[in-house]
Amino acid sequence: MQRLVLLLAALATALAFPLSAGAAGKDEFHLYNWNNYLAPETVKRFEEFCKCTVVQTYYSDNEELLAKLSAGAKGYDMYVPTSNAVQALIKSGRLKPVDKAEVPNLKNIEPRYLNTSFDPGNKYSVPYAMSTTIIGYNEEKIKELGLPTDTWAVIFDPKYLEKVKGRVTVLDSANELFAAALKYLGYSANDVDPKHWDEAVAVIKKAKPYWAAFNASSYIKELTVGNIWLVHGYSNDIFQANLDAQAAGRKFRILQGMPKEGAVLAVDNMVIDKSAPRPDLAIKFMNFMLEGQNSAELTNLIGSGNPNMAAVKFIKPELLKNPAIFPDKAVAEKLEQLQDLTGAQRRLRNKLWTGIKAGR
Amino acid sequence: MGAAVDKSSAPAVRSAPNAKLGKWLVVGPPLVYLLLFFAIPTLIMVLASFRTPGEFGGLAPLFDEAGKLDLNLESYTRFFTESVYAEVFLKSFWYALLTTLLCLALAYPLAALIAKSPKRHRNLLLLLVILPFWSNFLIRIYAWMIILGPQAVVARTVNALLATLGREPVSLLFSSFAVLICLVYVHLPFMVLPLYANLEKHDPTLLDAAQDLGADAWQRFWRITFPLSLPGVYAGAALVFIPAFGIFAIPDILGGPDDSLIGNVIKQQFLETRDWPFGSVLSIVLTVVALALAGFAAWVGRRSLGNPSSAKGADA
Amino acid sequence: MRKRPVWLWIAAAAGYAFLYVPLVIVVVYSFNDSRLNAEWVGFTLDWYHKLFQNEEMLAAAGNSLVIALVASLASTLLGTMAGVAMYRYKLRLLPILVLTPIAIPEILMGVSLLIFFVLLNFTLGLVSVAIAHIAFCIGFVAIVVRSRLAGMDESLTEAARDLGATPWNAFRYVTLPLIMPGVIAGALMAFTLSIDDFVITFFTAGAGTVTLPLQIYSMIKIAVTPEVNAVSTLLMLLTLALIIIASRLSPNLFSAEEE
Repeated sequence: MQRLVLLLAALATALAFPLSAGAAGKDEFHLYNWNNYLAPETVKRFEEFCKCTVVQTYYSDNEELLAKLSAGAKGYDMYVPTSNAVQALIKSGRLKPVDKAEVPNLKNIEPRYLNTSFDPGNKYSVPYAMSTTIIGYNEEKIKELGLPTDTWAVIFDPKYLEKVKGRVTVLDSANELFAAALKYLGYSANDVDPKHWDEAVAVIKKAKPYWAAFNASSYIKELTVGNIWLVHGYSNDIFQANLDAQAAGRKFRILQGMPKEGAVLAVDNMVIDKSAPRPDLAIKFMNFMLEGQNSAELTNLIGSGNPNMAAVKFIKPELLKNPAIFPDKAVAEKLEQLQDLTGAQRRLRNKLWTGIKAGR
Repeated sequence: MGAAVDKSSAPAVRSAPNAKLGKWLVVGPPLVYLLLFFAIPTLIMVLASFRTPGEFGGLAPLFDEAGKLDLNLESYTRFFTESVYAEVFLKSFWYALLTTLLCLALAYPLAALIAKSPKRHRNLLLLLVILPFWSNFLIRIYAWMIILGPQAVVARTVNALLATLGREPVSLLFSSFAVLICLVYVHLPFMVLPLYANLEKHDPTLLDAAQDLGADAWQRFWRITFPLSLPGVYAGAALVFIPAFGIFAIPDILGGPDDSLIGNVIKQQFLETRDWPFGSVLSIVLTVVALALAGFAAWVGRRSLGNPSSAKGADA
Repeated sequence: MRKRPVWLWIAAAAGYAFLYVPLVIVVVYSFNDSRLNAEWVGFTLDWYHKLFQNEEMLAAAGNSLVIALVASLASTLLGTMAGVAMYRYKLRLLPILVLTPIAIPEILMGVSLLIFFVLLNFTLGLVSVAIAHIAFCIGFVAIVVRSRLAGMDESLTEAARDLGATPWNAFRYVTLPLIMPGVIAGALMAFTLSIDDFVITFFTAGAGTVTLPLQIYSMIKIAVTPEVNAVSTLLMLLTLALIIIASRLSPNLFSAEEE
């Protein structure tokens, strides 16, 4: 027995050493990022450029990031929150201001993505990549059923839903679904009038019986496999679903549908933590990612939207033609970024959301 | 394992100070560890349930601008006045109860078989029960999505059957059925292991004696084996019901639109709504209810069947 | 010698089938020539190749293994002590402290431990995760050990004491072997809980600490590739190998010999 315990202890120690060896003393840039949100080639190139190591840890939701930071987690140099999360972080004093002199490449960003209400003057954040929340569909099936793909009605109106009952999923996010419902009703996605919210709840409840699930994680897989035919989802995910479908040799394509009523635009931004161990590396990375070629690599990898004008010449032509990734002016007007809600508004929304999901 | 009892060591009289020391040597370490790394952190969050949520997340400062202690009962009042949360609690209770019963039904034969197997096989059989659970949770759930998917054998058979009965086809995936199956699947080893640990100790001669006295198989099970196994049953039930009550990952991944459980609501408080005090309140209520149920079940068990340890003893 | 009834075999076989069908799918799909874990396309060893080039994934798997080993050892030790203590003595505080971590939602425990570590200015990393895991595993071990004790024959221990054994010797040579299956069952549970934990680990991991569940969950939106199946299969086999080696080293580890 003692021999066994000693063996296990020795094994544990032996494994622990090489794993922690890399930690001390080297130049490390701690990036807390979404998974698959930085092309491996870009990482390599940056590591050569800065003579440092990039250590990435991942989160899959802004809220996870915010929760962890609210509890006081430290040790990250940079993270990549969406604009409304940036707003919350600025207001809670977590971010280090950016010295514009060190990010000359900021001029590459399209002006309409700069100086937003989230971060006036871009004091703390710099745009990184974008996505929209739109409709994804199985081309073959939806054409067969003759359903429109350019309106939220196909997700909310029972007259369309009956044809796809049980084959539709919507995102499991109160903010996203309310935004879609509000847009469908003709309001702004950032509308906070409780009466309008009640209308949105009514729309959602009417459509709910036809939906297969509220799902933010496995819906892409189901879409690609062909079990689900219509989704309310993120443009990057839907793009990926099509890549997977083609790779798997399916007869159908997965296409993106931009609703004419408008949709939610999510701009993810690079920010530096106030107590970052290596803010110098962080700012180097920021400027590096604002270069056209580096920024384009991500778009080419996952089909994300790109606010960088210098990136255009590096992006694959078929992506440039895709209106869901690079919307034209008319569509762009209808896209809205979500604002962070006040505490009271969040609570009300959660009460309504719990009611919807409790099946009342 | 030849273990010689050392007759030449300490006197047969158990001296009082040594007994006390012995008690603290055994109670001490786990007590200190849990006080430090569980009780204190949890008390921080219990305190949080009386605080105001921070405007952008987390908690508002403990002392407001005027320097006064900012504690209130708002979050508790919300819980008790908005009934939707109680409804979700009830739903979770049923799911957890059903999961526990199904686990018991499935685990008992497994544990019994392993316990009755020859000693040299028992370890292997036990390992085989737990081996699947050393692979990642998420992909096992994904495997269930494949099994229950509309194009797979199971769903097609079920729907074919329903079709012959003239009924509408059902989706096995994204439904309460899928959630339950996965709940049972994920918790099964936590019922098997305690049951096994208990059943393994049962003396077969008891059952032989009962058989000689004319008891049939069912009577032998119900009046001897089952009562003796009750401590294992309760241990297993606690280790299944309590975690199942608070789970959120399974409904998130393959639940239907109506399958939101209290675990999901709590997660939303900490993540989407960023209302930590309310999340704490829900968590505290969940914990208290779960522990109360466990305590109640144990009490009922002790009352209705007497102390199981007095049932053995005739054999040696 | 009583025969085991047929229905017991059938029911147990059904139980094993229930446990193994999903696992077979997991293993088989690690050879699946498709990025998705959704349906069978063709055979390939690609994913295993990719896995061995994926330093992050391998490091995450290694971290998970180390943490699980440490956590299960420590929590088995502490949990057995707690289980014995709860059985033998009339205690009020310890049972509550032991049982509550099982009941409390993981998110609450994760957030509270994070706040606690931050207050103490304790650097987050592998150690903070291990500490957290031990805290919630103790209860599982304690419950199993206690229930095993409850079904145990006291007279043997009493006999040992009457014959002059010290309490420690009575425990070590009589009680401990008798409860060993319970201790092992608890250790196995603790290991399983630790190696697959996500929520608590998420909150208590440091800036460079990734465990396998953290790595995998972060992939959840971009589809969990068969690399995950591959690493899971390997980790499972590795753990199995460790157990087999352990049982060779300590032949009496899993059995409770009292004859």
